Amino acid sequence: MIWKSVNSRLIFRTSAFQLAVIYAALFLVSVLVLFGTLYWATIGSVSRQIDATIESEILGLAEQYERRGLNGLVDVLTERVSRSDDGGSIYLFADSGLRPISGNLRRWPSATPAADGQIEFETSLGAGQSTRYRANILSVGPNYRLLVGRDIRELVQLTVVFQRAAIWGVVAVLILALAGGVFMSFSAQRKLAGINRTARRIIDGDLSERVPITGTHDEYDELATNINEMLTQIEALLGNVRHVGDSIAHDLKTPLTRLRNRLESLAGGGTAMSPELEKCVAEADRLLATFNALLRIARIESGAFRTAFSTVNLSDVVEGACDLYHAAAEEKGISLNFKSKSVATMYGDRELLAQAIANLLDNAVKYTPRGGNIEIAVNDEPDHLELVVTDTGRGVPEADHDRIQQRFIRLDAARSEPGNGLGLSLVKAVTDQHRGRLVMQNLQPGLKVSMELPRGGIDSVVPAEPTTN
Amino acid sequence: MRILIIEDDKDVASFIERGLEQAGYVVDRAETGKDGLFLATTESYDALIIDRMLPGVDGLTIVRTIRASDIHVPVLILSALDEVTDRVDGLKAGGDDYLVKPFAFVELQARIEALLRRQTTATDSELTMLEVADLKMDLLRRQVSRGGTNIDLQQREFLLLEYLMRHVGQVVTRTMLLEAVWGYHFDPQTNVIDVHMSRLRAKIDKDFDPPLLHTVRGAGYRLEVEKT
Repeated sequence: MIWKSVNSRLIFRTSAFQLAVIYAALFLVSVLVLFGTLYWATIGSVSRQIDATIESEILGLAEQYERRGLNGLVDVLTERVSRSDDGGSIYLFADSGLRPISGNLRRWPSATPAADGQIEFETSLGAGQSTRYRANILSVGPNYRLLVGRDIRELVQLTVVFQRAAIWGVVAVLILALAGGVFMSFSAQRKLAGINRTARRIIDGDLSERVPITGTHDEYDELATNINEMLTQIEALLGNVRHVGDSIAHDLKTPLTRLRNRLESLAGGGTAMSPELEKCVAEADRLLATFNALLRIARIESGAFRTAFSTVNLSDVVEGACDLYHAAAEEKGISLNFKSKSVATMYGDRELLAQAIANLLDNAVKYTPRGGNIEIAVNDEPDHLELVVTDTGRGVPEADHDRIQQRFIRLDAARSEPGNGLGLSLVKAVTDQHRGRLVMQNLQPGLKVSMELPRGGIDSVVPAEPTTN
Repeated sequence: MRILIIEDDKDVASFIERGLEQAGYVVDRAETGKDGLFLATTESYDALIIDRMLPGVDGLTIVRTIRASDIHVPVLILSALDEVTDRVDGLKAGGDDYLVKPFAFVELQARIEALLRRQTTATDSELTMLEVADLKMDLLRRQVSRGGTNIDLQQREFLLLEYLMRHVGQVVTRTMLLEAVWGYHFDPQTNVIDVHMSRLRAKIDKDFDPPLLHTVRGAGYRLEVEKT
């Protein structure tokens, strides 16, 4: 489950994987150094020994030639050939035309000598199989050549074995290192995935989310613990700020109501109020409405309504709200149409949903010019219900779509209309309480606002999609 | 009309008392649940205004006790709590209406009048015909006419008018209309109720005399034949 959630394309971009590749490379280099040293100490040493034997034999034979002449050399050679009947050493004494004179090699090898005068070739002494030899050549006088060589069959076999071992070793090391790297990156990714998921949920607005602690007491657990403590702190601070704001609204509401009542009693209980006094009462009412809206949003956000959730028919709720606004729309020459009348049940709060829809309609009626259209639809999507309000107003710049969901944010274009900048904040709060998603889209002309509401309410969530602005 | 206020906040209590006395009611006050319960069960009142949270015996207990004692006086519950469940609890305990503090006095007065009215016309539900002057509403056939002319009303307009006719002569606030006709306990951002009322007025008053539907400044509406 977790493995699947890790995007395989991203694996290669994780620092854990990059680190694993670097480790694999380092590992490879050290293995190569190790093999090199082993090669130098074993095969290299044997090879050098052979070279030394050939060298010393050549030096010995050269000395014999100098002391005893050509015949002496041939004698010594004959004696040595007879001593080396196992074929371990080869000798060939030839004239300037490389025609053999003496020795146990039948003809001069065709291989070209290397820069240091050494030649390697394969031949067979008797009827046996061919064997590889390494030899040095000595010029004897102006007219003769002497070849002295040793059997290097074992050296060759050893080298083959060593090479095979080295190749397999390197391949195994590479495979192990890479597999280890992938495993390391996956496990690191898995541990980080929990942290990332939590961070995502918090960004989406659920501050109560915490990073899971695995209980292994490793550095990831330490990080998780610290992040959780930080989150608790932030949540408490945010709660404080909100609480202060709400307390102010609450504490001012009572004296403001008292003020309104005093203003009213100033009128003397009669129905006729002076225009000035009437304006004062209206102003107090406006202030009270703002405080009420603010407190209402605070209560919604506190989750107090969730306990009263029950099964509601969203279509009925929409119909009630449409009834409320249809007169206001008609007065402005706007047609208000509710499309789907099917049953669309969900788990939620009728009153909150009605208020949210009312606020959306309120905005739509306010910002749609005379003669415009407002369409409302309830769509039965596979995993949620979608309530869509579409108007033919001037829309909202896309850059402001998120901003206008915040409290008291009113765009300059809206300042001429009555309102307190809390309408959409309430819609957002209601959507959040139903674990839904609020999506806005410009239609040119007009604005489309969708509330995506999961049917299950509390337990199901409309998956968050990256906002495309 | 005698009204009992059971409220421990002296400011609120005296403000209600003053207002109601000005409106012509006789008002008694109790500051604790115990005193209130004693008065409510021993004296005779036309309506009770009970704060939900009181020292000693709390408001809901008082309501339950007097209902258990077979006293059917209308009760208006005052509360600082405004969740749907709080409201439901209040009404379940036997309250007739629920008003959230702080409130405008006109709202309280309108609701008290509505409660008293409900008391005097307890058989309202059996009515099949409502009449105010020459305005007639046939509840069975869902028809409205004035001076013999049929008036075509939409469903919500019909419900609005029915509520007004059942509370003829009383101030009816916008909040009360929203609660009665839509079942909403929130205030819409703009006063959409006013639009409905002006359309209703155009239908029942425009071509007829005298005007029946009156706007009460700073409070709401009233349906009546205005005394000159």
